[in-house]
Amino acid sequence: MNRFLWIIIGIVIVIVAVVVLGISGVLMPGKGSGPNLASGYSGLIAPEKLLRVPVSGIYPGGNPRGLNPHMENPLKDDPDAAARGMKDFDNFNCSGCHMGNGGGGMGPALSNHVWIYRESPANIYLSIAQGRSAGMPAFGAMLPDRTIWELVAYIQNLSDDPGHAFGVTTSATPDVPPREQVPVGQIQSPTPWKYTEPMPPNGEKNGSGSEPPDAPLPPGAEPAPQPQHLVTH
Amino acid sequence: MKKTLLMFLLLAAPGALAQDNASLQTDDKQWVLAGKDYAQTRFSRLNQITPANAGRLQVAWTFSVGSNHGQEAAPLVVNGVMYVVGAYPNELFALDATTGEMKWKYSPHVDPSSQGVACCDVVNRGASYDNGKIFYNTLDNHTVAIDAKTGKEVWVTKLGEITKGQTLTMAPLAAHGKVFVGNSGGEMGIHGWVTALDENNGKIVWRAYSIGADKDVKIGDRFKPFYPDAKGKDLGIRTWPNGRWQSGGGPVWGWISYDPKTNLIFYGTGNPGPWNSNQREGDNKWTATIFARDADTGDAIWADQLNPHDMYDYDEINENLLLDLPINGQTRPVLVHPGRDGFMFVIDRATGQIYSADKYDTQTSILSYDLKKGRPNYNTALTPLLGKNITGICPASPGVKDWQPTAYSPQTKLLYIPHQHLCMDYKTSEAAYIPGTPYVGATVNMYAGPGHYRGEFAAWDITGRKKVWAIHEKFPVWTGTVVTAGNIAVYGTMDRWFKVVDATNGKLLYQFRAPSGFIGQPITYQGSDGRQYIALLSGVGGWAGALANYEIDPRVRNGALGYTGAVNDLPAVTSGGSTLMVFALPKGGSP
Repeated sequence: MNRFLWIIIGIVIVIVAVVVLGISGVLMPGKGSGPNLASGYSGLIAPEKLLRVPVSGIYPGGNPRGLNPHMENPLKDDPDAAARGMKDFDNFNCSGCHMGNGGGGMGPALSNHVWIYRESPANIYLSIAQGRSAGMPAFGAMLPDRTIWELVAYIQNLSDDPGHAFGVTTSATPDVPPREQVPVGQIQSPTPWKYTEPMPPNGEKNGSGSEPPDAPLPPGAEPAPQPQHLVTH
Repeated sequence: MKKTLLMFLLLAAPGALAQDNASLQTDDKQWVLAGKDYAQTRFSRLNQITPANAGRLQVAWTFSVGSNHGQEAAPLVVNGVMYVVGAYPNELFALDATTGEMKWKYSPHVDPSSQGVACCDVVNRGASYDNGKIFYNTLDNHTVAIDAKTGKEVWVTKLGEITKGQTLTMAPLAAHGKVFVGNSGGEMGIHGWVTALDENNGKIVWRAYSIGADKDVKIGDRFKPFYPDAKGKDLGIRTWPNGRWQSGGGPVWGWISYDPKTNLIFYGTGNPGPWNSNQREGDNKWTATIFARDADTGDAIWADQLNPHDMYDYDEINENLLLDLPINGQTRPVLVHPGRDGFMFVIDRATGQIYSADKYDTQTSILSYDLKKGRPNYNTALTPLLGKNITGICPASPGVKDWQPTAYSPQTKLLYIPHQHLCMDYKTSEAAYIPGTPYVGATVNMYAGPGHYRGEFAAWDITGRKKVWAIHEKFPVWTGTVVTAGNIAVYGTMDRWFKVVDATNGKLLYQFRAPSGFIGQPITYQGSDGRQYIALLSGVGGWAGALANYEIDPRVRNGALGYTGAVNDLPAVTSGGSTLMVFALPKGGSP
């Protein structure tokens, strides 16, 4: 009975996936809705292959049976794809939610190994094309297929976190001082994890200690008021 | 005895529950509006808890609102019942205010996609009570009216679209038969507005936009601005490059005050969009502006644009306290606006004239405020040039003080200010407007301001125009505050301390380590057992604390619109939470 139920659920999931992919223009480029709908879809990956990429890691009965085909980023040998993806990341406001270097904000961080909707290039591609229910817009109708793969290339770089472990320890008194990325204002690179520095304590500006946090008061500025009495708790 | 009888009648007769909040807000046993009263004073005349006994405070009871996102809401207490709204998915809980017993909950079906449209965590700042109904907003643009007794939905009105970048996070103000609501989405290029709804049926009575043609902004014959730069036709269009006003922001996500004597509402508008000021030459009216409007018609009476052509996300949605204060030897009706831009504004609420504008913390981006012109003297050395990393801008984008409301004590004549102390580096880039996605064009890196601290709780003498005392805190102080006739002030810290201090001198009287950091609004009320209670939601988050409750990487300083850098050690001291904390003095003890 249970197995039967799972098969039904499986069929429903596939139907839903087909409908969603269809709506997002992945399966039916140029058909149906607006003029922009996947007009740039160049078939870098065959649609029927993408259809077999699951967003779940659970297979009813334990057998993926043809789901999860091996698939690399079709632009993996293009050395400039990630750099173009970095520009796209700003141009299409990805950085507005996921923030500079993908540190996360309105949308989750892309700078680490935490993936809500799985980490394969095809999964990242589908998250962009289809959107996700917690607020990720479906960009499939706006972005050409190649642009999405460029974004995938950049996001793969963003997440190339050197400290790769099963779990992350967060401590107020770490054994080894943590490192942070050099801010985007100083270096913007398609490989941001190549540029790190020690994380300064107490939310201060930078780890090198070369720049004092005290902002000098500009000439002609009214001074900030000092309290008559500073209370310490 | 008489009191007991009255209480009995109030509780026994359901009809008697449906009271006007105009009278209820003068009863300090209650807390019927997020801001306590129409004037937003957050002052209570309760005086059981004093500096002499506050050290004996205890946890009376606690309650989980079940959503580990930032909890910014002020609970309400009406006739012995507490009403508290949680962060997304915005459930409303009714509890016995004395015992914590749950009476009912109301669970709206909020669109989960709205989470991705809210700029800075999925917060809600609370509700309003009037005439038997609780009014509040859901993240996905619905205003709801709930029967305060039964928890049943009375009406629901949808006011906006998440596909256009709009959300609702503010606590609406119910007053004079209307519910006043403003939208959020200053980071999404929305078209900001205030909307007045009929309390009885939820129908829209009027809507006034922050930007656009005079008729949409409700600027007409009655509009008499004080300063010359506010005079002229269709400034809400003409102070923008061609057509840019349509995605110009000007959200109204903060506080609305109401003056029953003049029947005017007062509120501030948020930042212009995009943050990148290079894309929108001009004053960008009416963003970062304080409006006075007729509560019945929405007609604009006056407007002061505090930060014309804002360059740093200095929203001016902060609260406006309506006080009568001596100005040049005469008592005047004024509006006190602790500005996000770091200036304490005292403004005549009849005319819009700015009497004073004093810095109340480190400020490098504005040299001084010109009271004759009603305009800031910007520091041109810190003007954001496209693509250039501008360093040492103080305050950072959240301002000296953000949404977290102050409180004013008529006893000490001091304004109690919870605020942050941050500076930033700021780099602008071209942003494209795509409806429903962010419209920012700035990469921000915030850090602690001078002196190696990031937050402060300060007492400000409004008429003396000086900071009397201050407490430095490790993290930004992102809670509101309450001050009482017992001479105590209350706030919480992001590193999980609930604090009660002496309102006269800031001395610490009591502290308690809570489950999660605080970013909520404390309230105080009297229970049916005659005891004075203090309530505050624990649950770190919001713009300042989302790093600790959401998938944000502390190693990337530019995350969370640049807030990550300033609080990258926060996840080591707290995680998200959802616990309402309620404190009181021990039972039976002599006060």
